[in-house]
Amino acid sequence: MSSKSRAGSLAGTSVGFVVILVWCLLPVAWIISLSFKSAAETGAGSPHFLPQDATLDNYKTILGFGTLSDGSTPDPTVSDAFLRALLNSFGVALIATALSVVFATLAAYAIARLEFRGKRLVLSLALAIAMFPVVSLVGPLFDMWRTFHLFNTWPGLIIPYMTFTLPLAIWTLSAFFREIPWEMEQAAQVDGATSWQAFRKVIVPLAAPGVFTAAILTFFFAWNEFVLAISLTSTTSSRTVPAQMSFFVGADPFNPPYGQLATASVVVTVPIIVIVLLFQRKIVAGLTSGAVKG
Amino acid sequence: MTTTAQAPVGAPVPAKKAVASDRSSAENKLGIRLVAPAVVVMLLVTAWPMIQALYLSLFRYRLTTPDEKEFVGIGNYATVLGDGLFWKDTVNTVIIMVVTVAVELVIGFVFAMVMHKVIFARGAIRTSILIPYGIITVVSAFAWQFTFSLNNGWVNSWFSWLPWISDNTNWFGDHWPAMFAIMVSEIWKTTPFMSLLLLAGLSQVSEDMLEAAQVDGATWWQRLFKVILPNMRAAIMVAVLFRALDAFRIFDNIFVMTRGAQDTESSSFLTYRQVIEQFQLGLGSALSVLLFLTVLLLAFLIVKLFRVDLAQARGEG
Amino acid sequence: MVKRSGVLATAASLGLVATLLSSCGGSDDALVWYTNPDTGGQAAVAAACSKKLGFEIDTQVLPQDAGQQRIQLARRLAAEDPAIDLMSIDPPYTAEFANAGYLAPIPDDMQQRFRDQAFDGAVEAATWDDQLVVAPFWSNTQVLWYRKSFADKAGIDMSQPVTWDQIIQAASKNGGTVAVQSNKYEGYAVWINALISGAGGEIATDTEKGADATIEVDSPAGEDAAGVIAELARSKAAPPDMSIAQEGQAGTTFGGDTGAFMVNWTYVLTGAGYPEDVVKDIGYTRYPQTVAGEESRPPYGGIGIGVSAYSDHEDEAIKALECITSPDNQGLNAELTGNMPSSPEGYKWPALKKIYPQDLLDLFQQSLDAAAPRTVTPYWSDISGALISRFHPPSSVDKDTPADAQKFIEDVLQQRSLL
Repeated sequence: MSSKSRAGSLAGTSVGFVVILVWCLLPVAWIISLSFKSAAETGAGSPHFLPQDATLDNYKTILGFGTLSDGSTPDPTVSDAFLRALLNSFGVALIATALSVVFATLAAYAIARLEFRGKRLVLSLALAIAMFPVVSLVGPLFDMWRTFHLFNTWPGLIIPYMTFTLPLAIWTLSAFFREIPWEMEQAAQVDGATSWQAFRKVIVPLAAPGVFTAAILTFFFAWNEFVLAISLTSTTSSRTVPAQMSFFVGADPFNPPYGQLATASVVVTVPIIVIVLLFQRKIVAGLTSGAVKG
Repeated sequence: MTTTAQAPVGAPVPAKKAVASDRSSAENKLGIRLVAPAVVVMLLVTAWPMIQALYLSLFRYRLTTPDEKEFVGIGNYATVLGDGLFWKDTVNTVIIMVVTVAVELVIGFVFAMVMHKVIFARGAIRTSILIPYGIITVVSAFAWQFTFSLNNGWVNSWFSWLPWISDNTNWFGDHWPAMFAIMVSEIWKTTPFMSLLLLAGLSQVSEDMLEAAQVDGATWWQRLFKVILPNMRAAIMVAVLFRALDAFRIFDNIFVMTRGAQDTESSSFLTYRQVIEQFQLGLGSALSVLLFLTVLLLAFLIVKLFRVDLAQARGEG
Repeated sequence: MVKRSGVLATAASLGLVATLLSSCGGSDDALVWYTNPDTGGQAAVAAACSKKLGFEIDTQVLPQDAGQQRIQLARRLAAEDPAIDLMSIDPPYTAEFANAGYLAPIPDDMQQRFRDQAFDGAVEAATWDDQLVVAPFWSNTQVLWYRKSFADKAGIDMSQPVTWDQIIQAASKNGGTVAVQSNKYEGYAVWINALISGAGGEIATDTEKGADATIEVDSPAGEDAAGVIAELARSKAAPPDMSIAQEGQAGTTFGGDTGAFMVNWTYVLTGAGYPEDVVKDIGYTRYPQTVAGEESRPPYGGIGIGVSAYSDHEDEAIKALECITSPDNQGLNAELTGNMPSSPEGYKWPALKKIYPQDLLDLFQQSLDAAAPRTVTPYWSDISGALISRFHPPSSVDKDTPADAQKFIEDVLQQRSLL
């Protein structure tokens, strides 16, 4: 009886396993497939899942290398704009992540370790900002940024990205910091280490995974952000990939660049997949630790 | 945009007794100094612009006709609240929120159960579930837009055996199909977040209690509703709270997939359009303020109605 | 204390990064021309003028959608961004930009030269407050494209002026489609405006009163226009994607199996990439009549070049303006893009005659002469947005739509309603 139900539950779990894989990966497989379809194929209407005649043309156009299958060189304006947007995305996301994590580490340390007035207020503020409707800021921010000449610049995006990633980073970090056995620091000091040595040799290795996890989640947010990216930028000099993609419709009104958009999608998803493959354990821990562990 | 969010954690360190008052005052100062930069950055970009929005909302002010700027008091609010479009978009947003969160809760729970039970390839399943979570919402929107595309999508050809789908079904040509496509993209992208939170909750349900229930002859359903779900309450409520508020702010999917055509506009999209596309800084600011108040109200309602105990979720219970 | 100085250092480095980043832009001496996307025409013209004038003109491409082009430009102009020198502006937004003070004035003698050179419709669309505020560069119009084989099958005589009713009937009785632009975007306003003008009406008058202009959608002409849209949307000749069709989708429908009739811009013939057998089958004639017997008023589109009021290189930009819009460069642009010149002189560019049959070039020019520009007003985007929102989807249009649209446009202009 019990072994039978166990077999049944194993079968159920296996089915569920397959369903999850299909659910998560089918759309990804679809954009990958689409990225190999030629403009001629999508232009004529191509309801097939797989490309009939796979081509690398879209990759060549988006990344600007090689020669296309018709012998021409890819249009450099497309790849220039995309690569520039990619640079903007990396730059803005990395700087915002670095700054946000530094500020959040300080704050989280204080929240986890110290008693001070206004601690609850800080936590409530962070909670409120996590729920804040970003769209309601675009008007006044646009108005402020054009006065301060931050409109259409990297800092114009980095500053609000910091604001909206801080709550996430503070929570994740303070969850991690509370788990750190801080008394080991004192133990090390008793053993003769200076307080700096104790901090560096004992606390930093314990805190680093938390900081790293917070950085990944922060990076995801900044990499994904769209509302501010389209509202506070207007040219390729600061436009990030999501904004660039949403405005990219190709030069040719008769062939919506499905394949090129899919290619751009694949390219910007690669960093995400790499991060997920390398750090899935940390991300899951970061996402769930704060939520329910208590 | 998807704000990944969890409940805050920082439970206070149990107050140390017999601490000299100058020590605690120094600690107090240090604490405030350490949180100050984060607090300043958070307020700089939220509180000040909201005050600005409050001020601008009292004017008739269109950016490209600045000469006609004029004080109108609460006139903009009267216009907005008396406007059919505002209410229609609010209803749309609520529909999207309720449907996506409900569906995600069910699918997310099933996924969490599978991940909880699965004894092989845990890394593979976690990795694949994190891909939709990490993928850019705009990319998800494009992927699903192409999926439902009339000429290039596979939905029409794979599902043409369904009576209401044919090769010519134009998903973005009517209100409900377009809403459906938008919600599919939203659900696909955010279910992983939901299921991971639920998985964390699931791992807190004690095996002993489940076994005891099984020994008592409880059926699977009874165990689910009497033991598992009540013990996951905190996790479920936190997940619902954050996903609901996130879904209420839906923007990216609508922007990419329909641009608000076929009445698929959300409150966020309406506000964006007024401010950024029509340069109606006055009316748009009034909408911004109302959107902010709605989100506050919604958060309050969810916390009160479902008695989400954030303190407990924070581990202070 | 260590921590605190860390914060200060971070803040300082943030500041430093900010300055570094905001100061890095393009090179300072080149002019920057914001162009609408095309197949390389404006870039070629910029290169030609750079060579001729001895200073660099770089092009930056705006989004495809005209409404989005307006938004991108206006936002930066409102921010007084000096990095825009020249811009390609779609006619319906010219008045708005000029009225907001975003456009540098063009010297009077140059204005006169542009007026003399260009088609009347182009001048009308480029004028605000009695000043020519942009230089007409290319002028576009729509004609009725049809498949010869289908017209034969349907037995419709295309040598005579046809009405919308005739082509809708002919298409629906013979399994064909009438492809139009009726997505919820500016292109739909182009169609509605052409229909209303074709019935002798106008969308708005007294536009110098700004938001208090007189709206005339609720008129016999407006009802005729609504009648055409409703007839097509409810007939078998309506393409399945009618409610989301822009120029490209219309082109695809027309090139496909059910393709019969299409109204579309001049560039469609070279731009749509039709196979040889389809190209041979394509015929063209004057834009259809809204009301039988009354001359049709084809849409007017195109691009005028404006100089930004916030440019740091205004003198050079004005020189560039004259070079860019010279008839030769109009011809060169037309050769490369299919976007036709804004002057009769431009049509004399030799390469055009090789690409297009003479009767088609004549048809374009006749159509331009008869074209009805969209109402020139700083509020066009509000009027057009409100109009489209009530006329979309096309299948919802009925006899009450004009009155409904009229009231809504007025409410939006008076800020009594949200758009």
